[in-house]
Amino acid sequence: MDWHFWQWRQRDSDLNDEIAHDLAAEAEERVRSGISREEAELASRRDFGNVSLLKEDVREIWIWASLERLSQDVRYGWRTLRSNLLFTSMAIVSLALGIGANTAIYGVMDAIMLRALPVKNPGELVILNWRTKNREPDVVRDHNGPNYAVPGGGVESPDFPWQVYELFRNHNNSFSTLFAYKDAGRLNLIVNGQAEVGSVEFVSGNFFSGLGINPAAGRLLADSDNVAGSSQVAVINFDYWRQRFNADPSAIGQTIKLDNIPFTIAGVTAPEFHGVSAGSAPLVYIPMSNRLALFNRSEGKAMFIDPHNYWVDIMGRLRPGVTLARAETELSGPFHVYVLASAANDKERTDLPALWMQEGGSGVDSVRRLLSKPLLVLMTMVALILAIACANIANLLLSRSVARRREIAVRLSLGASRLRVLRQLLTESLMLSLPGGILGLGVAAVGIHSLIWLLSGGEDRMSLRAGIDWRILVFTLCIALAAGIVFGIAPAIQATRVDITPALKETRASSPRRRGRFIGLSQLLVVAQITLSLLLVLGAALFVRTLANLHSVEVGFNPEHLLTFSLDARQAGYKDAQLQTLYARLDEQFRALPGVRAATLSDMPLVANWNSRVGLYVPGIPKHEGRGGPRTSLVMVGPMFFETMQLPIALGRSINTHDVDGAPLAAVVNQAFAKKYFPNQSPIGRQFGINSNVANITIVGVAKDARYSSLKDEVPPVTYLAYFQNALKGQPGSAIFELRTAADPFTLAQTVRKAVHAAAPRVPVTDIRTQTQIIDSTITQERTFADLCTAFAVLALVIAGVGLYGTMAYAVSRRTNEIGIRMALGAERYRIVAMVLREVIALAVAGLAVGLITAWGTQSAIKSFLFGVKAADPLTVLWVSGILFAALILAGSAPARRASRIEPLSALRHE
Amino acid sequence: MLILRTLQWGPQHGHGIGIAIRQSSAELLQIERGSLYPALHRLEARGLISSEWKSSDLNRRAKYYKLTAAGKQQLVAEQSKWKLMVKAIARVMRPAKAD
Repeated sequence: MDWHFWQWRQRDSDLNDEIAHDLAAEAEERVRSGISREEAELASRRDFGNVSLLKEDVREIWIWASLERLSQDVRYGWRTLRSNLLFTSMAIVSLALGIGANTAIYGVMDAIMLRALPVKNPGELVILNWRTKNREPDVVRDHNGPNYAVPGGGVESPDFPWQVYELFRNHNNSFSTLFAYKDAGRLNLIVNGQAEVGSVEFVSGNFFSGLGINPAAGRLLADSDNVAGSSQVAVINFDYWRQRFNADPSAIGQTIKLDNIPFTIAGVTAPEFHGVSAGSAPLVYIPMSNRLALFNRSEGKAMFIDPHNYWVDIMGRLRPGVTLARAETELSGPFHVYVLASAANDKERTDLPALWMQEGGSGVDSVRRLLSKPLLVLMTMVALILAIACANIANLLLSRSVARRREIAVRLSLGASRLRVLRQLLTESLMLSLPGGILGLGVAAVGIHSLIWLLSGGEDRMSLRAGIDWRILVFTLCIALAAGIVFGIAPAIQATRVDITPALKETRASSPRRRGRFIGLSQLLVVAQITLSLLLVLGAALFVRTLANLHSVEVGFNPEHLLTFSLDARQAGYKDAQLQTLYARLDEQFRALPGVRAATLSDMPLVANWNSRVGLYVPGIPKHEGRGGPRTSLVMVGPMFFETMQLPIALGRSINTHDVDGAPLAAVVNQAFAKKYFPNQSPIGRQFGINSNVANITIVGVAKDARYSSLKDEVPPVTYLAYFQNALKGQPGSAIFELRTAADPFTLAQTVRKAVHAAAPRVPVTDIRTQTQIIDSTITQERTFADLCTAFAVLALVIAGVGLYGTMAYAVSRRTNEIGIRMALGAERYRIVAMVLREVIALAVAGLAVGLITAWGTQSAIKSFLFGVKAADPLTVLWVSGILFAALILAGSAPARRASRIEPLSALRHE
Repeated sequence: MLILRTLQWGPQHGHGIGIAIRQSSAELLQIERGSLYPALHRLEARGLISSEWKSSDLNRRAKYYKLTAAGKQQLVAEQSKWKLMVKAIARVMRPAKAD
């Protein structure tokens, strides 16, 4: 009697059997009255009438019957849920929160990890990388791009020398196209006189045709645009077209200046295309050949022929029928030959990079690698919350089902099948979880946006597109259904497992007590809730401690009241000496501004996850070719840097105004550097070289150790060179200015802008932030975790507490009679309280024990997210267990007190 | 109602129910298969009868129906309704009483 899908076919075949039997019986009758069998069968078939019409009628009855049953179930469920509005609304709200949170995380994960690129046949796309077994390969002397650690040892990277790209292009049977691209970074974009900063991407001529993208307007880049000397064209992003040009087709043909170099806009990409890397959406695409013009360094042309300069990213489209493995095998050989030939000595020949390909259907995975682990942790957390909410609702349903025993017994005795009643109870559960899911969509919409904002540190560098689409709707529906069944099935089964006769005669007094069965389903659920809550609270405590530890790390300088901003005058056409003069002049002007106590500049911000490491030549220490030898972290600083940042100098002097072009190259090193390379001696006066064989830099001072790029890492050896001395070939083109202000740093932002505009009108002031903001943005993940996990933990604790309270309250009310008898027989009140509390303590202890064991078992999973505290830190564990225990006792004490206040007489009369 | 009444005597399959009704009405009522089987399934869907697959005297698999408790209640209700209706019609159709 069920409407389950697969049973339709069974019923159809049953109906056929029934009809067949009828025909046979009819035929048999006629045969008995003397007719031949054949005639009898014919006659009985005729007599039967229209078989197919009959089958149609019966099927229609089945459909109507199941629809009517469904509406009955829904109406019945509606009445039941309405009669207890508090429970219903609490259940729906907690489900909405749990389902919404899960959907939000899934939505973000989908955008980052799962969604395919909106191109033709994304399954055919392949990203090329290389891998080594142990360490960074020595043949890679210049690397412009990321290095990833391979689990199990070695590094991998998607960057290749340009010649390798050409080699692959001429040499392949596996790919129908191979195209190249490279992030050009954030450049100054000037359109119609308006300047802004945006991401730009270099692409090869066949980039768009290889991906299979159509233009929304105009045309996309082609191979002919890549020929040196052809007019410079660019293609812009659809969203940028809409924002900046209001989607006006006359944008085609207009000029856009990138770092002051004019390009003609040739077309607009399709609306859904946002680049090949989830999380970074270039606004403009320009041909690869322009790479030369935009980089003034002498390495410009050499980049395309240097076999040791790894920078270009390559993607390919496999020919139909060719597998990734085959493509990899085909190109591995030539690549190996190439890198072997580029190795200069035996040392470089060990651990050469080997070709490695990965599927490219969902784009480049830089953001994915960054966020996938944190997202998994968050996903676990929200799954736990949903589990706790479901356990809670299941428990409440359980207690209610015990109260409905009589009603269910009556229905069963009237002939309803167990399955029918079970289905009706499940329908009730779904009537809780489906509305919860719909509300949850609203929660998810908010949650997705907040999550992306949190994960990207509040900046909008990460342009993730995540919104509610059909995939998310399906996910929500599935979770809602699953949740409804999960929390509904056990109570429903429990409810229908009723012995009819005793249940019909049942009164409160005679309802079976669970004395014999100490571990009932209800208790198990409470223990489960406590376990899950413990995990969440422990996680929250660990993350909060991590954050506190990070906040208390000694930075080494004073980050308060420091206004920082970035200037890149190259974008307005300044070059070489002009550049330096401008920056020096601005440095002076800033110092003189009212409200500015001190001012300086540097080539990179401190403690911003920026890193610049170079090879060192220290006389007396053997030098290695490539990456094996002594290295130092580097930052170029202007005069008064140490005074402005309040970074103490331990020995000697700091960089000052005498350290200019032409004067002997001076450097200040930190104590770690001194200890490492000049142990047991004063390094003042000693000389060393950077990226060369000549020791021409003199150490003039030693600074106290200060954090360089992150709060978490150990302080590396740091060299502070003079910004205006050009110790390295190729001067820095941009500068970060740091101003120590008297009041709130942002109050000076306008003044600074005006000053820059007065001195150099076309130079934009970008990235205005305080030093504390910069430092905070490096610990975004830890902060996110601490915030979210605390919120989750509080939520979990509340739900678990309510669950415990509800269970105990119900248990007490069911045993009112028994308690009344005991008290009438002389038991004191405190003994009653003890009786209830004993059960509460037993549940709490059980839950905590299981929780602690689980936490112990999973500690390695969150080790990498912690700082300064171990996952099994005894103090934290003790603390957390104590808090949880106290909260649970509190939750259970109210029913215990109520139990003790029961008047024996009214209890005995209580039915 | 007729089906329910027939099943009061014990479980029976569709063919047997048709024969029983025919016989007990002395051949006056012959129910069409096209009405009998839909009626049986409707009664089953409403929970007034339940079914079981048993081996019939033809040594074949047949679907036997039997009354449920709800069905018995329904039968009683319908019988009293029926009796009421018969009385009412009889009243209307009664020859006028001689005064």
